[in-house]
Amino acid sequence: MKRPSLLVVYAFAYLVFLYLPVLFLPLFSFNSGTIVAFPIKGWTLDWYRKLGEQDTLIQALWNSLGVGAVAALMATALGLFAARAFVRYRFRGQAAAEGLVMLPLVIPGIIVASSMLVLFLFLGLKPSLITVTLGHTFLALPFAVSILKSAFDDFDISLEEASYDLGCGVGETFRRVTLPVVAPGIVASILVTFTVSFDEFVLAFFLSGNQPTLPVYIWSQIRFPAKLPNVLALGSILLFVSVMLLVLAEYFRRRSSTRDVR
Amino acid sequence: MTEKNIIEMKAVEKRYGSFRAASDIDLELKEGEFFSLLGPSGCGKTTVLRMIAGFQEPSRGSILIDGQDMAGVPANNRPTNMVFQSYAIFPHLNVANNVAYGLRGKVPKAEIDARVTEVLEMVELGGLHRRGANELSGGQRQRVALARALIMRPKVLLLDEPLSALDKKLREQMQFEMRNLQQSLGITFVMVTHDQYEAMTMSDRIGVMFDGRLMQIDTPATLYARPCNRAVASFIGEMNILPALLMEEGNSLLLIDAAGFGRMQIERNPNASGHARDILVGIRPEQLEIKAEKPADYPATVQGTVSNVAFYGENIHYHVAVDGIDTLMAVSVPNYFHTVDFNRGDAVWLGLQEASVIDLGKDK
Amino acid sequence: MFKLRSEAAKGYTLSAPATAYVGFLVAAPLIILIAYSFWSQTYVTLDKSLTLKNYREALADPLVHHLMLRSIWIAGAVTLTTVALAYPIAYFIAMKARKKTIWLLLITIPFWSSYLLRVFAWKLILGFNGVMNSALLGMGLIDEPLSFLLYNEFAVVLTLAHAWAPFAILPIYVSLQKIDPSLLEAATDLGNTPVQRFLRVTLPLTVQGIIAACLIIFIPTVGDYVTPALVGGSDGKMIANLIQVQFGAANNWPLGATLSLLAMMSVGFVAIVFVIAGRGVGRRIR
Repeated sequence: MKRPSLLVVYAFAYLVFLYLPVLFLPLFSFNSGTIVAFPIKGWTLDWYRKLGEQDTLIQALWNSLGVGAVAALMATALGLFAARAFVRYRFRGQAAAEGLVMLPLVIPGIIVASSMLVLFLFLGLKPSLITVTLGHTFLALPFAVSILKSAFDDFDISLEEASYDLGCGVGETFRRVTLPVVAPGIVASILVTFTVSFDEFVLAFFLSGNQPTLPVYIWSQIRFPAKLPNVLALGSILLFVSVMLLVLAEYFRRRSSTRDVR
Repeated sequence: MTEKNIIEMKAVEKRYGSFRAASDIDLELKEGEFFSLLGPSGCGKTTVLRMIAGFQEPSRGSILIDGQDMAGVPANNRPTNMVFQSYAIFPHLNVANNVAYGLRGKVPKAEIDARVTEVLEMVELGGLHRRGANELSGGQRQRVALARALIMRPKVLLLDEPLSALDKKLREQMQFEMRNLQQSLGITFVMVTHDQYEAMTMSDRIGVMFDGRLMQIDTPATLYARPCNRAVASFIGEMNILPALLMEEGNSLLLIDAAGFGRMQIERNPNASGHARDILVGIRPEQLEIKAEKPADYPATVQGTVSNVAFYGENIHYHVAVDGIDTLMAVSVPNYFHTVDFNRGDAVWLGLQEASVIDLGKDK
Repeated sequence: MFKLRSEAAKGYTLSAPATAYVGFLVAAPLIILIAYSFWSQTYVTLDKSLTLKNYREALADPLVHHLMLRSIWIAGAVTLTTVALAYPIAYFIAMKARKKTIWLLLITIPFWSSYLLRVFAWKLILGFNGVMNSALLGMGLIDEPLSFLLYNEFAVVLTLAHAWAPFAILPIYVSLQKIDPSLLEAATDLGNTPVQRFLRVTLPLTVQGIIAACLIIFIPTVGDYVTPALVGGSDGKMIANLIQVQFGAANNWPLGATLSLLAMMSVGFVAIVFVIAGRGVGRRIR
């Protein structure tokens, strides 16, 4: 048998390094003991069952879902227009504009969070789910733009010309050709931006006031060792949901880019 | 083909900043004609086609389709339809919906269905209604694009390099099919191509473009026999081009002294753009006779040495170095007996009839 | 329809909502932060007369110095570790792996789990009574729990190297992917050993990717809040934690604003120096 190369061994070791920590959360969420350490005492689903009884948690979940949905739609709508502009048209300052919308990716979280808090209060907006939504739209926009840009990249301009040529106006062409063809990209963008918002902590921590999102709620529970199993169960659900959404998004993204438009 | 003009372009020009993509385009196309715009890439032929389609507005000049001025008429309101180079098959629609695209909402459903079926039969895609856009072969995509445009019953069908994405065999087959289709429908076809053989086999007339200008508009036979200048002569088929001195200029004949071959009397080319003391003449490679001995029955002969032999199958090409001529002379011989008669280094004679020397006008 | 507006005008119109949104949310807070940094606050009353007091205080405070330097030091260590660990993976995926897309997906999936939860997972693993210690004890490899695992700089670096992995892998992967395979064949053909070839062709051609990876990790790391707060202990606190205190418990926004701006400036300074140095190195190897 051929000896696997050092690089392959390293690659698999790296995967273990990436996945192991994350997998401990679900593992210990089924542990009947309250201390997160080996050996595992026994298996239980109690912690999951108890989640449903906590009103504040349910409220935080609804908060997160609402913020995520609105932020995802707003970021995707803004990103849709911007991505089309970046791919389809050439204009002065385009590189700068593209750089600008990517900026939220690299600004340190604490600076975004603190400066937005200051801005919103200055504008008379009390910390609330609205401010969190505005902030998350800002953070999610780079993701939306890059996903939609690749969707438009694969879009052959002559498809739109063919539609004009066959008698359709601008609006009808957008509805009947452009939108359906980039639809998978739009779905992928909504899923990804939703996940970005759903998992985001620092900004929500600063901007949510007394309306915690799920990560902010988790943060408030982490400090209490007695709540640990609860947090584990909740975190595991969150992990599962995020990964599912992402796999789904990846599926749609693939569909948009492997679709043969040549 | 009727005598009615379906397209008239008058002094059309298209500028991008200081770059002229097309200038001085004057073109009249007859109803039912198969017309090709032929030229190297970047010569402006696609720009002309897209101005007819309405994707680009001329910077100057006017375009009339069926007598109507098209200025300000957007692409979706023009009586033209286009087959795109990439075919632009809508990836989210099946064959029938692609073909029906332009009729949807404008024509009753039952009529759409009937016309789709009819046009799919016409392009030999009968029964493929429900086939997905991504399950089509290259040739099928081309047929769908054709059907989608033809179903609109355009006054003019525009084709942008419609066969360039197909392999050689399929391309040749489609050339005949499209020509037959055009003749049975009687619709005007305007095709852009860089492939001279494609243009020659399919078209009634060809417009040859260089650097944004229409150099010559003629039938394939005339373009081949009487090209207007050096550029057209060497773009269409192969051509040996020689410098010559104009000795005497008559109304229908010229007396010249051609490099290597000496004095001869040739026909004056009415397409040539003008004459001066220094002119160019062209000789098609298949018009030269190659012999081991000096050929007796040719008025003009030269002696040379074979420098290259290229075996093409149906033809054999010899390149011959001749004293007094700077370039190698290309000679094409039909391969009747499946033998190569001459080898590199052989001394040979080339013979030429005066009638086959083409006057290309003054040397710029 | 086609002449109504020029290409450029359409481009501006379509991209304007997004750029205006981001531009506003970047510029406006910045302006207000700058304003705040020149104001002062005594208890709860804000004094809007301009002063350099905050800057003087911040620059003179040894704690600020200490945290700022530590933030930069830790961010540097995190960047170096992450990129060094990630390069072989990126190389493996770009050059050797057969199912590239599967590998890329595998690498990115953990990144999509909540950042907070990933950091939290490390806290559980590295804790005194945590997963690692209990496992090692159970296997009999150690006799008593290791205390150096959690609440120090090491924990912060390890956690962040894990958190940033895809950010390092992807840019390097992209730059490796762009290398024309015939360049590598040419190097071999011209007599290079695989190691020489890597150092003389592959590495110089991926310098851009490495720089991108470094920046995308370094900049946000300097301002990271969650990791030092959860696994850093008092030894691993960073400047972000101090800023949060000013906006939170200490309720001294002018000082918080000043610290934010100082942090931004230091990050910018280090990043610029780094980019220039990186370019220089890139040219040198060539």
